[in-house]
Amino acid sequence: MSAFVIAHNTFRETVRDRLMAGVLVAGAALLAVTQIATPLALGEGRRLTVDLGLSSISLLGLFVVVLVGTSLVAKELDRRTIYNLLSRPIARPAYLLGKWLGITAALLALALALGGALALLLAWRGWMVSAASLAQGVYLAGLELAVVAAVAVMFSALSTPVLSALYTLGLYAVGQWSDDLRAFAAHFPPALGRIVGALADVVPNLPLFNMRTLVADGRPTTALHLALATGYALTYVACVLALGAAAFERKDFK
Amino acid sequence: MSARSRALTRDGRFAAAWATALATGALAVALAHTAARTLPAPRPLEELAYYPSGRFIEPATLGHAQSAADLAWLRAVQYYGEHRDTDNHFARMAHVFDILTTLAPHFTAAYAFGGFALAQEGRDFAAAERLMQKGVDANPTDADLAFEFGFLYYVKPGGRDLERAAEYFERAARLPNPPPMAARFAAFARQNAGELAVAYALWADVRAHSPNRYLRDMAEREMDAIRRAWAARRLELARRHLATPGVQLVR
Repeated sequence: MSAFVIAHNTFRETVRDRLMAGVLVAGAALLAVTQIATPLALGEGRRLTVDLGLSSISLLGLFVVVLVGTSLVAKELDRRTIYNLLSRPIARPAYLLGKWLGITAALLALALALGGALALLLAWRGWMVSAASLAQGVYLAGLELAVVAAVAVMFSALSTPVLSALYTLGLYAVGQWSDDLRAFAAHFPPALGRIVGALADVVPNLPLFNMRTLVADGRPTTALHLALATGYALTYVACVLALGAAAFERKDFK
Repeated sequence: MSARSRALTRDGRFAAAWATALATGALAVALAHTAARTLPAPRPLEELAYYPSGRFIEPATLGHAQSAADLAWLRAVQYYGEHRDTDNHFARMAHVFDILTTLAPHFTAAYAFGGFALAQEGRDFAAAERLMQKGVDANPTDADLAFEFGFLYYVKPGGRDLERAAEYFERAARLPNPPPMAARFAAFARQNAGELAVAYALWADVRAHSPNRYLRDMAEREMDAIRRAWAARRLELARRHLATPGVQLVR
């Protein structure tokens, strides 16, 4: 119950942040840029709009995670509100879970708003795109942001905002390369290959949430893909938040 | 609650958190392995890792290969336009289109545009053929692309390749949602390549299935011409002399 109260407050705080308004404006500007570039694309304006529209959800969401998510705990420490909170009968894992739920809800709202704007723009231009494919693309982008937000919340419980942001960005980058790491591991000598393969397992497997290629081609993905991506996101988030909770339990606020 | 029992509770939560992390972590790894094994993972830039100027492009896109492909498309169009208007020198065009289509293997418009630009203005038919073959391999059910590949052979600069053209026209005609002219082009190409028996069968198919009366009449006329050529044992009666296609470049 207390986790939901914290989640509600975190959500409210995040969506009221001026940064969120800026991100929405940036998203709209990016969509406008696709329309300016359309005449240069030799009839491929639809593809350009879909690709950059979906990329903007992912990249602007990452921007929010890095600027807001990585300082969630530090901000409460600065304001000393965390002492009031944790002196109440609120378990520290519930506090972290609440923080993650709140920022994830805000990120999903952002994904929905940008996805909706993209769908409206496509409809206005009369460009036919499979609605199911577009909805799936936005859903998977939302899952990706939920995973990255969990990583940011974990680091924010352990470190300073700047270091948390660097760690989160680093894991995001390596997470995007997880498929390549796995492919490289197969070509390395066995010992090194096992280490690189293990690294590919530990980092978030973000390519699993990327179906921009399919959406641009107007093709929906399979139910198996959606199920695996959802299951992976839930278990990875649970694992990362549990690690964060374990470390947070031992943290001494003095 | 005493300090001792609070400490015990915290220890319990610490242990539970680690147990949860290990259990869910193992499950996440298992799911990631299942996904890697079962899902068709497009690995658009694997071979680009070995290209001197294209190395590490996909990792650098951080999962945004499609957007990178769009930027490459804009760049490719600019490259084509710049050189079409100035020196008609297209030395890097094959490389640009190769990177672009490796980033977006299903971007069929890029294969068609790149293929014809390479063959006509770039005067590099081998590169055009490689690009189109790559497109047809990556999109085996795309009838339009198969037709375009056939058309590339049909207008091959310096000498039409009617047999290869007919091969791809026929392939396009057999795929779902074929261009309406695919069967007609296949028959026409076979007939003018001298393969009258195949052409006759293809024209018969056009006559039987085309919803267009004009095309059915045309098929009937061509079938008549082939029958006359067979009767007179003069195959040239059913063949036309097709001029060698070329392209006028702006200087």
